[in-house]
Amino acid sequence: MEEHKETQTEEQLPKFRGLYRHVKISVKALDCIIIACIAVIVILVALDLRNPGFTIQFDSRGGTDVPSHNQMYGERLEAPEPPTREGYRFTGWYTDSACFDPWDMENGKIECDLTLYAGWEKLE
Amino acid sequence: MENPVRNLQRAAEEYRQKSAKDKKRYWIDGILNNALYILMAIFVVYTAIEKPNFLTLGSFANLITQVAAYLPMALGIAGCIVLTGTDLSAGRISGLTAAIAGVFLQKTDFVNKMFANLPEVNDGWILLTLLAVIAVGAIIGMVNGFFVAKFSLHPFIVTLSTQLITYGIILWFFSLNGNNSQPISGLSREYKLFVNGEMFRLGNVAVPRYVAYAILLVALMWFVWNKTPFGKNMFAVGSNAEAAKVSGVNVFWTTVLVHTLAGAMYGYSGFIEGARSGSVAINTGLNAECDAIAACVIGGVSFVGGTGKISGIILGVFVLRIIFVALTMLGVDSSSLYIIKGAIILCACALDMRKYLVKK
Repeated sequence: MEEHKETQTEEQLPKFRGLYRHVKISVKALDCIIIACIAVIVILVALDLRNPGFTIQFDSRGGTDVPSHNQMYGERLEAPEPPTREGYRFTGWYTDSACFDPWDMENGKIECDLTLYAGWEKLE
Repeated sequence: MENPVRNLQRAAEEYRQKSAKDKKRYWIDGILNNALYILMAIFVVYTAIEKPNFLTLGSFANLITQVAAYLPMALGIAGCIVLTGTDLSAGRISGLTAAIAGVFLQKTDFVNKMFANLPEVNDGWILLTLLAVIAVGAIIGMVNGFFVAKFSLHPFIVTLSTQLITYGIILWFFSLNGNNSQPISGLSREYKLFVNGEMFRLGNVAVPRYVAYAILLVALMWFVWNKTPFGKNMFAVGSNAEAAKVSGVNVFWTTVLVHTLAGAMYGYSGFIEGARSGSVAINTGLNAECDAIAACVIGGVSFVGGTGKISGIILGVFVLRIIFVALTMLGVDSSSLYIIKGAIILCACALDMRKYLVKK
């Protein structure tokens, strides 16, 4: 009797077409998935809002360590204390490790997580 | 056209006649089926309260430009989804075409110019480059389409392999002429102007020219989807390939052309992306297809196949962008954004299936 019931419910599940054609799922299960996904999104956002902002990391490339800090979207970079390195002069923060592209202190706005690289000039 | 007011009245009348249980069901269905829109509305309201500059003209201009940048890829990939397939190579194809466009349109006097002998950048050369990158995208799309159509291989397999092959070509391209995988920068002013040139200002944010191009592209795709035999064939093949074949549709060529058209769109996206971001790196376009697929599914281009509207795709891109603009302004971490994106895709697919099941 129980077996009969099971086959019946399986037949009752409608057939999908296309990419879902092997999917066997009930509306109830789908509801659970939807609610779970929404819950995950809301929890993640709530967790991030407790400690908001983008992390700005500083790679001093051989100089003294510069701690990272968090800043909000659209803010200008708060310049940290410049690092020091023996025999070199600090030339500023760059957006690439090759120190090609300097960070625009005047107009540059924080829009994502950022790593900045210290530029060094060798002292004669 | 039916009178919308009368429609509403009829809906209200039907609702009144429902039993209490049905009424409850009606609300639960309504909330679940529109879960993503409700979520978006909550984020928008919250962001507007927290960040007053979210609801300004400038922020709206920013949203429009983002939509215009992400829309072409979604329009391309939607065709593949209508055919019950998908395209995983979209992002890498746009990365490759962005690199090609970047190299062709570098400043003539730039020190690190990859190819020193290219002609000076003018409008003719820009248009030629645009056509060239669209052709490159279309060729890769055609390869995708050929394997899918000829051997009935699943698009996941075919486009996964072209994704990797295209990445290989990108790596190879970036190491040409001693470039040593460095980003391609020093793009010419003319190229940036052609794409990013200001049309008018909203608030104090410039609306770039590619917004106008995106509108043209939407009009073109709407025409192709709704008014040409090719578009009708595409929907026929998507909803039932066997039936389409019997009624005289050339399934092979329809499939090949849908993928070719999609490839051309990715080529165009790459061209825009290069000038938009100011330099092209190896990872330009990485995972861009995820956004495009998510936008399509949110917008009702179902994985069931054979259904979808251009207006839906635009709506989908808008919803996704609004969510991300709001979350970025709130300062949500970019690593969380990836998890949120994944959850949105899963949720959109579940919604898609749910609508299909409940309708039955």
